[in-house]
Parts: sequence; structure tokens; C-alpha cells
Amino acid sequence: MAALLLEVGIALTAIALAGALANRYGLSVIPAYIVVGVLVGPNEPTSLAGIPLTLVEQREVIDVLAELGVVFLLFFLGLEFSIGQLLDDRRRLAVVGSLDFTVNFGLGALLGFAFGYTLLETMFVAGIVYISSSAVITKSLIDEGWVANPESGPILGTLVFEDLLIAVYLAVLSAVALGEGTPADAALAVATAFAFLGVLALVAWYGTEYLERLFDADSDELFLLRVLGVTTLVAGAALTAGLSEAVAAFFVGTAFSATDHTERIEHVVAPARDFFAAVFFFAIGLTTDVTLLAGVAWLLLAAVVVTTVGKLVSGTVSGRVYGLDRVRSLRVGFGLVPRGEFSLVIATLAASVGTGALGDAIPAFTVGYVLVMSVLGTVLVQNADRIVDRAGLGWESTAD
Amino acid sequence: MTVYETEVPGVGHKFELELDGDERLVVLIHHDGKREVYHRPGENADSEKLFSLSGQLARQLGSILEGAHFQPVELDEVRVPVGEAIIEWFDVEPDSRLAGQTLAAADIRDRTGVSVIAIQRGEETVSNPEPTETVAVGDILVTLGTRDEQDDFGTFVENDAPGTPES
Repeated sequence: MAALLLEVGIALTAIALAGALANRYGLSVIPAYIVVGVLVGPNEPTSLAGIPLTLVEQREVIDVLAELGVVFLLFFLGLEFSIGQLLDDRRRLAVVGSLDFTVNFGLGALLGFAFGYTLLETMFVAGIVYISSSAVITKSLIDEGWVANPESGPILGTLVFEDLLIAVYLAVLSAVALGEGTPADAALAVATAFAFLGVLALVAWYGTEYLERLFDADSDELFLLRVLGVTTLVAGAALTAGLSEAVAAFFVGTAFSATDHTERIEHVVAPARDFFAAVFFFAIGLTTDVTLLAGVAWLLLAAVVVTTVGKLVSGTVSGRVYGLDRVRSLRVGFGLVPRGEFSLVIATLAASVGTGALGDAIPAFTVGYVLVMSVLGTVLVQNADRIVDRAGLGWESTAD
Repeated sequence: MTVYETEVPGVGHKFELELDGDERLVVLIHHDGKREVYHRPGENADSEKLFSLSGQLARQLGSILEGAHFQPVELDEVRVPVGEAIIEWFDVEPDSRLAGQTLAAADIRDRTGVSVIAIQRGEETVSNPEPTETVAVGDILVTLGTRDEQDDFGTFVENDAPGTPES
């Protein structure tokens, strides 16, 4: 027990230090958690200037906390997913959402095929490069003050659309990937997945009043325990039934979003989410063998270049669809570049399938990709105005 | 005035208040209670963060702005309806033609139609003043009359040159 407690202590301290350091330099904490996980983990580098660096083995306890990270990231995605907002603005959202999907998922699929991956592997690569990072993007929007500007409209709208799409995508992909065998088996697996999710959606829709009463706890402690309990139980049951625990958690989140408990969850449960998610990113670092990155270096380079341009273009056009001027439209493009937590969630699913490239190359690629894109995206947003001015497209240099 | 409300997933709620033209005041309320207030001068300008407040402070500022602690009496707008007629208050400035005159000499009712029903002089209230009462600088005249008559009297009391007010 002593050794285990010490290791978990080292892990949590390393996470805390990495977070503080990233925050100091105005960067997202996600890449920092991953890098520190790589450093203290069992893979290379194992020592630095003769000092052994394998401080934390990959333990079951960390794996469980990391899994809870996936569950609660998706739970909050569901909680904050506003079907009302989606419907209010459905025409513009349908346009910008499909544009974003076609361009970026399409480019991802082209990349996958160009590098000789199978259809299933390509679907993973496409999903990984398609999904933007809500966490990194909202932080950047607030840091730069864009949240108070009109460009936040299409950015947040695109994220809402992506949230819905990623739930469907994960449901289909996990059913296909985990249910091996003939296309008939796969079809059956997808059907089962949707039947299960349909039940969850119905509960979410009609069970509002019941949930309201069930979770009407007096103390925050009891409230927290109930939310953690029910969410983890449903996610676990889904996984046991061969379905995506992440998607199940998403639907539990949407069930809560219609109740009056939303604000309380944001206060009480968000800290638990932050803790689990930090361990999730750290655990990704622990499992990452950076020597594998050499094998996917070309894919990584191509993906970084192609998908940055992809989001820039689709984002800028989306800004125009919202009737924004040139500068603000370009900012929409820059704003959507960061990738992060959801790409890693997809990579975790790939690793759990574990066959062929899904077992090692694609997770390693994702870690490298997220490290680059989360930092590059943040830096691009911070310097967007300078880049736009330099290119002669700013407000001052030309009249729009 | 239009107020736009949007949800910012993972952050909280955003409210935009329309000021003059394209000018906007943007309030971002975080889930943890923090409020950030931005000002956007125009369409082609960036929002500038004015200040941020904790939930507690924001509520205090809000109640001050609302007038819960101190409600200034906006004298220009004080009107008490009495049927067709309304009651208004007028300050007698040093350059007013009424200063130093008696009510009878000023001939207020014939010239404007309003009746002076009271004079507030410091702490003292002279109700139903006699025609011989002399108006002093700093007095507040409480008058009863229709809206048009009150407007005429307003012009009359401010005017330092003798003459008939327009009707």
C-alpha cells in the first residue's frame, strides 16, 4: 500500500506542477498533463542525466480514474449540450456543421487512405482529426476576450454540432469496432447500440421530473455521490453490454440538462470532472511510447498541415455564413484549430480494440497530434490578429 | 433596448445589452458565479474587458445600480397626476424673474394658468400661500395645472426677461 500511495502521490503532484506551469505561460493544460505523464511514465525517456525517471508504473487505480475521466468529460458534454440552441439556430448550424464535417472529416479520411490504413482505421483517423477541443477553445475564447465578440457565435455553434455528431460517431464506431465479425454482426451491434441509446434518450426526455426529485439532495455531499454513482453505474452497464460507456455518459448528461440541477452539477461535480480528466490526460502520457512516433512522423506532419488548413478554411467560410466581416470570419477559422480531449477519447477506444494500427500507431499518432494541435491552436488564436494584419487582411490595412 | 442571451457551453451565460447604435455591453456570468463585463464600442471593434466581479460583489453592485440603497429624486420628471391637472415642483434660480416678487405682482395664474399651492422654503412649507407672499431665491414652488400650463410656467419661471410666455 505504501508504494502505491507514494506513486499516486507522485502522479498527482506531477499533474499539479504541469498544470501550474502551463497556466503560467498561457497554454492549455492538456498537453502539459500528457507530457508530464510521458516523462514520469514507464516508457522512454526512462532516465534523465542518469536519474531514473520511471516514477509511476501504469497501475490499475490510475486506469480506473482515467476511465472516469472519459465518462465525466462526456457526461458534461451531454449536460452542456443544448438541444434548444441547436434547434433555435438550426438552419445556420446545419450549414456550418455539415461544412465543418465534410471538409475536416473528409480530409481525415483522405489522409487515412493515402497512408494505406484499412477502412476502420481510416474512420478512426478521420474522427480524431475532425473533432475540435471544446476545453481548449472555450479557454482561448475567454483569454482573448473573443467570447464577448460576434465570432464566438459560429465557433460555439460548430462545437454544439460536433458534440452531437461525436455522440453518434462513437456509438457507431464502438459497436462496429468492438463487435467483430461479419457485416451482419456489425449491423446487429449498431442496432443494439441505438436501441440502448434510444432507451436512454427516452429516459432523458420523459424522466425529467423523476430525476428532479431523485436528485433533490439537501447536502452537496449527498448530491455529488448520487450523480457520480448513477453516471458511473450507467456507463459501466453500457460497457458491460458491449456499448460505448462514453456515449452512455453523454446521454446521462443530457438527461440532467433538462432538470434544475444543471447549475448545481456545474458547482459540485465539475471539480470531480476536472480531477478525473487530468488523470485521464496524464494516463495517456503514461501509456505513450514516444519512440512509436517515429513510425507515424509523416502522417503526423501531413495531418498537422492539412487539418490546420482545413479548419481555417471551413471556419472562415462559417464566419461568412453568419454574416461576419473578413477579420471576424478568419478568427472563427483560427479559433476552431485546437484539438484535444475528444481526439484522445477516440484514440482510447482505438487502443481498446487493439488490433493492427489501432493498437499502437494510431494512439501514438493521436498523442503527437493533440500535443501539436492544442499548442499550435492556442498560439494561433493568441496571434490571430497579428497574422491577419501581416497578411494585409486586417481592419486597419484595408477597408472591408 | 434589446438584451440577447446566449449559452456558452462549459462557461456559463452571456448577455449582450444594446447601447447606442452598434455599441454593446456584454456580461458573461460564469457557472462559478464570476461576472465579467465587456464593452464593445462598435461592430468593427474588439470587446474590451471593463472589470470582473465575484458573485457577491456583483449582486451588491447590481442592487446599488438598481437604486435599492439610494434613489435620487429626478426633479425634472416628478409629476403627480390630479385628474387633468398635475402637480409639479419648480426651483427658483437666482436669475429667475420671480425672485423678490410677490405672487400677486407676478400674476402667475393669469399668465400661465397654474396655481401655486405651496412654497417649500428650506425646512419650512408655506401651504396655500397668500397673494402677498414674496418668492425668494432657492424656493421650490409647488404648482397645480394642466401639462401645457405647467410647461408655460416652466418657461416663465426660468425666464429672467419680462414678457408673456408663449402658449
